[in-house]
Amino acid sequence: MSTITLTSSDGVDIAVERAVAERSVLIKNMLEDLGDSGEAIPIPNVNEAVLKKVIEWCDHHKNDPPSASDDDDNRRKTTDIDEWDQKFMQVDQEMLFEVILAANYLDIKALLDVGCKTVANMIKGKSPEEIRKTFNIQNDFTPEEEDQIRRENEWAEE
Amino acid sequence: MRRLTLGTLKRRGAPPASFDTEDLAQQVGQLSVEPEKAHEEDKFIRQDRHEPNSALEHFERAVEKEAAGNLGDSLQHYRKAYRLDASVDKTYRNKHFAHVWKKPAQPASSGSKAVSAPVPAPPKADLLPTNELIESFANLPIPQAEAAIENTPPPPCPIANLPSEVIVELLRHVSLRDPANFGRMSLVCKRFAYHFSREQHIWKRICQNPEFGFAGMHYTYACDILGNPIFTLNGTRYTPFPKGVALEIPKPLSSWSQVFQSYPRIRFTGIYISTVNYTRPGAQSTQTVTWNTPIHIVTYYRYLRFYPDGTVVSLLSTTEPVDVVPYISKENLKTARATSHKQHQRRVSDQGHSLSGATDPLPPVAMNALQHGHRGRWRLTSPVPLPEDEYHQTAEGLNQTPESDDPRDIFIETEGVEKKYIYLMQLSLRSTSASKSQANQSKNTKLVWRGFWNYNKLTDDLGEFGLRNDRAFVFSRVRGWGLESK
Repeated sequence: MSTITLTSSDGVDIAVERAVAERSVLIKNMLEDLGDSGEAIPIPNVNEAVLKKVIEWCDHHKNDPPSASDDDDNRRKTTDIDEWDQKFMQVDQEMLFEVILAANYLDIKALLDVGCKTVANMIKGKSPEEIRKTFNIQNDFTPEEEDQIRRENEWAEE
Repeated sequence: MRRLTLGTLKRRGAPPASFDTEDLAQQVGQLSVEPEKAHEEDKFIRQDRHEPNSALEHFERAVEKEAAGNLGDSLQHYRKAYRLDASVDKTYRNKHFAHVWKKPAQPASSGSKAVSAPVPAPPKADLLPTNELIESFANLPIPQAEAAIENTPPPPCPIANLPSEVIVELLRHVSLRDPANFGRMSLVCKRFAYHFSREQHIWKRICQNPEFGFAGMHYTYACDILGNPIFTLNGTRYTPFPKGVALEIPKPLSSWSQVFQSYPRIRFTGIYISTVNYTRPGAQSTQTVTWNTPIHIVTYYRYLRFYPDGTVVSLLSTTEPVDVVPYISKENLKTARATSHKQHQRRVSDQGHSLSGATDPLPPVAMNALQHGHRGRWRLTSPVPLPEDEYHQTAEGLNQTPESDDPRDIFIETEGVEKKYIYLMQLSLRSTSASKSQANQSKNTKLVWRGFWNYNKLTDDLGEFGLRNDRAFVFSRVRGWGLESK
């Protein structure tokens, strides 16, 4: 069982089991290209706290069967999130979106899915105004524009 | 008919000839930024409320009942309202439609029903066509909320850091759960509105998936009338947009969102209701001397709930939607009928209750209504010729089912009042025409009658029901239906 070292954006070295780190397609490809030289791999876009969180997820899911296909159906079937992942995602919004960004950057599809599902759950059943409040988004429509878009998209309500 | 004139008067709100369009535009703006109710709510929840006392309250209740199609009760409330106050209609207009002609001293008083009032759209000569408008939203940042208190840091808005590809991924997850939610996202900010209309691959997926899209439509019957599935020999059923095949957007449409919007589609997320009113002359009382004969207004409802597995629950009842709609389901139908068959055996019925796994017990009024519900099956018109085999006949050999070449037509077969009957309905999907001013209203939310027959299995007779009293079915969403699948 070999371990590798990742360096976070704020310069902290973290030792990770290779199989765990390879949940990230980005790291896996890098290791394949570079060979295991024993040198630390820099992860310039992810800070220590987030990287640790991502590694925690990868460690828990290291024995998952590789997601068989990119098939929409398979991924959709699991609209609900498993219990461990739900707990894992009980973090503040900043961390949640940091994890999503890191999953996207490191190319960890399953984690990106869990993140998006968590956010989708926060959106579920809310009105536009409630969604804005949830995510601190400002309404940038003029009233006329909002009215125009509303009428354009009204049919989707049913 | 005094009542009718009242109704129309009240709804138009009769704006006087001269009113300031600028004011109106302002009001529209104010209306649209008012926080909306949670969309998960539906109107099938009975609110605890007191009986109307004042003339205005009676009038309001009457309007409500009229809107629900319950003319008998509506008329009673109108009568009481006028008896209490002859000018109650003016009071009503001042309360609910005052903003139409009055200067907004207190702009669009919040909490009043004015929000739902139909306000004529202000003239907008300087607005871009919607397409260009949406195009101009591309690449706009997600705007962050400002600080609630001056000189304090604004609340964090981490969602604004997401790159486009992740936003699209997120929207895809939202849309797969419920396209209506996706629609609401388009009203959150410009960036989401842009992705909503431009990410056609999301719409294509929605079209293809079985929860909301066309993979859930049946063009041949998928089960028998009692809901037992029919298995086809070659295992494939027709679907207009199969997966894994290169698909073209059918002409003359130009986008997948249009396909989703306008192709004949049955919705599983709610109930179709047909409200029928008719008048019946009553008998003159022999005890009292009256000048006129009483006339009864009778209101009844037809309910249809469709399931993606090809089954349908059909219910004809005088029970009002608010009392029965939340309980209409195959499971509750089974429970209710089991109870009615064994009413003399209390214990057996109790058992049936727990067996069916019904989480919340049926209220007696819903239970009584559901005892008369019928199981059935449904299909849309098959765009390809139906194979000549037994699957498309009823189990008992009826082969004279009506056929149609209108793709909007839907066929339903249900049980009848007696075991020997099968009821056949032919309905057709239509769009609501109520709001012509709105270019993009929802399509295919109405079902109009094309024919209604009963088939006698014993004598092989096909009889036709008259459609004199039958009104179109209108779709309403019901909370929680069809969302978390199964």
